[in-house]
Amino acid sequence: MGEKLFDKILVANRGEIAVRVIRACRELGIRSVAVYSEADRASLHCQMADEAVPIGPAPSLESYLNQDRIIEAARAAGCGAVHPGYGFLAENAEFCGRCEKEGVVFIGPNSKAMDLVGDKVRARQAMEKAGVPIIPGMKSVAVGDEECAAQARKIGYPVMVKASAGGGGKGMRIVCGEDELRPALEAGRREAKSAFGDDSVYLEKYIEEPRHVEFQVLADNFGNTVHLFERECSIQRRHQKIIEESPSPAVDDALRARMGETARKVMTAAGYNNAGTVEFLLDRNKKFYFLEVNARLQVEHPVTEMVTGVDLVLQQIFIASGRKLALRQEALGQRGHALECRIYAEDPTNRFLPSPGRILYLKEPAGPGVRHDCGIYSGWDVPIHYDPILAKLIVWAGDREEACRRMLAALDDYVLLGIRTPIPFLKDVIRHPAFREGKATTGFIKEHMEGWTEAAKDEGKKRLALAAAAYLTLDRKPASRPAAAGAREAYSPWKSLGRWRQGE
Amino acid sequence: MEYEFLIDGDKEKIAVEPGKGAIKVIGPEGALELDARRISDNCLSLLHDGRSHQVFHARDKERLLLWVDGEAFEVREPSEDEGGRRAEEGVRQGLWRIASPMPGKVIKVVVAEGDKVRKNQTLAVVEAMKMENELKAPGDGTVKKVHASAGDLVDTNNPILEVEAG
Repeated sequence: MGEKLFDKILVANRGEIAVRVIRACRELGIRSVAVYSEADRASLHCQMADEAVPIGPAPSLESYLNQDRIIEAARAAGCGAVHPGYGFLAENAEFCGRCEKEGVVFIGPNSKAMDLVGDKVRARQAMEKAGVPIIPGMKSVAVGDEECAAQARKIGYPVMVKASAGGGGKGMRIVCGEDELRPALEAGRREAKSAFGDDSVYLEKYIEEPRHVEFQVLADNFGNTVHLFERECSIQRRHQKIIEESPSPAVDDALRARMGETARKVMTAAGYNNAGTVEFLLDRNKKFYFLEVNARLQVEHPVTEMVTGVDLVLQQIFIASGRKLALRQEALGQRGHALECRIYAEDPTNRFLPSPGRILYLKEPAGPGVRHDCGIYSGWDVPIHYDPILAKLIVWAGDREEACRRMLAALDDYVLLGIRTPIPFLKDVIRHPAFREGKATTGFIKEHMEGWTEAAKDEGKKRLALAAAAYLTLDRKPASRPAAAGAREAYSPWKSLGRWRQGE
Repeated sequence: MEYEFLIDGDKEKIAVEPGKGAIKVIGPEGALELDARRISDNCLSLLHDGRSHQVFHARDKERLLLWVDGEAFEVREPSEDEGGRRAEEGVRQGLWRIASPMPGKVIKVVVAEGDKVRKNQTLAVVEAMKMENELKAPGDGTVKKVHASAGDLVDTNNPILEVEAG
């Protein structure tokens, strides 16, 4: 079968992804070591791990991003490996390199490959050399505005200004004509400098309303690489994914095979190992362009797991232990359809502002084909210091329409009292004909959901809520509760109650 | 017994009679009986006329939160001061009470008591979950009171600043 697995893995993350990795460790009989900041002592990942080590005050820079503390925790606990999850230090080539030096296995790619794909401009150059189609654009970082203008004319407007050192929408500006170029370059450089400490920018052709289609790849340490097909992540709000699925409704078998082979070629060209994702943009004419490589396990990995039957975290651990990939490309396939909704602590009725606070009650949805990757529990105080992702709700069904119905039923079954989540918004997205018919592109939210408001509540349910409230108050306080003292007007309950309608 | 509640911000009244395992709701058409069974600390099962309704509920100091067949409601006791729940309160006698739109931490307060401010001028910055939010003056005025400073944790109910209009 292969190499012996690690005795202990340090999970250098928190929340739902830390819980995910801990579960994989349990299945393999590997001891999991959690790290927790002062704000996370009561968190679920800390409770579930076999061991838990404190790593500092709440702010990420002093805890989950503190490389010294993480490495020290791994050494003190005797961990053979570290799983970085996503975000935090997952794509930090410096941290990856340090692990290598300290003799702690980093469960992810080698630092050289991570470094190469982390630099967007170098990555594009490498891809072009390998014959991978890239978005027409500049081959190197822009030096002066004049050079930019010349390049922009060559590429053809509209163009996009992008930061070379990082992503997440920072430093990105769309430019429709030459007169907009100079101010866009200035603003882009400023934002890039502030976000990454590096103001380098370059230009790329702006592809209008593309679909975001990415391919999951696994590669062992012996050069064997497979792809596990695609995920479509076009439902994004401010460049943040909120709904993902597999397969993509826009990709047919022939296109899938071509894109999949390209993804494998990309990873081989980069000398990549372990799990990673190759992102493409798919335009209206089914032409695809390399966008970037995500050198980590992604948030949306569950939809791939549901349709392929492959547990990606287990595979990551096997690969990192030095085992040869047991998966054969010819034997891999997609079955059925999976959808994922990200559950954030955000209030969709108040500009999606963060909604931290206490979760008073949680009842997770369940049933056939329903999976909930959850980092929260009833009674937990959601802290203000971190990314607001609470959980992911994933469904699998025989086909896409069935998956949509199953997701709506599961969202209807999701009880979370105490803080706000975008669940009402997500339901409306899934019900929307453009989404339901598989026609959504990355412009979907902007085009169809701008100015969304929550639908009025059902009157019958409101009456039931009132009756329940009265019943529950009855139990607690025996005294009758009149209207606010002093506000005595002659009122008749008969008039105010109106017609009683049940369960409509 | 009559109850008056604020449900999702609307004042509503309901008259009920206690019974064993039942809620009798008194309405203009007469009484309606709901068979009520406590399933757990957070769950109530209601049956009426053959229909089954699942109610989940939880309380904190100020609210009773209810989930009824897929829809969520917030119930509070009606009170005099219903303002200050979220973001800026409307002008009351020419005074704006400015609270944070979300629970978080004050990064900085840019003005001091006595400062003259213009409409949309940034007064303070609050941070939560890696997002910064600038609190701006709703109109021209003078800073009357400052209730918080950098590093303070704030919620949506208690104002950070008071600005007198004009």
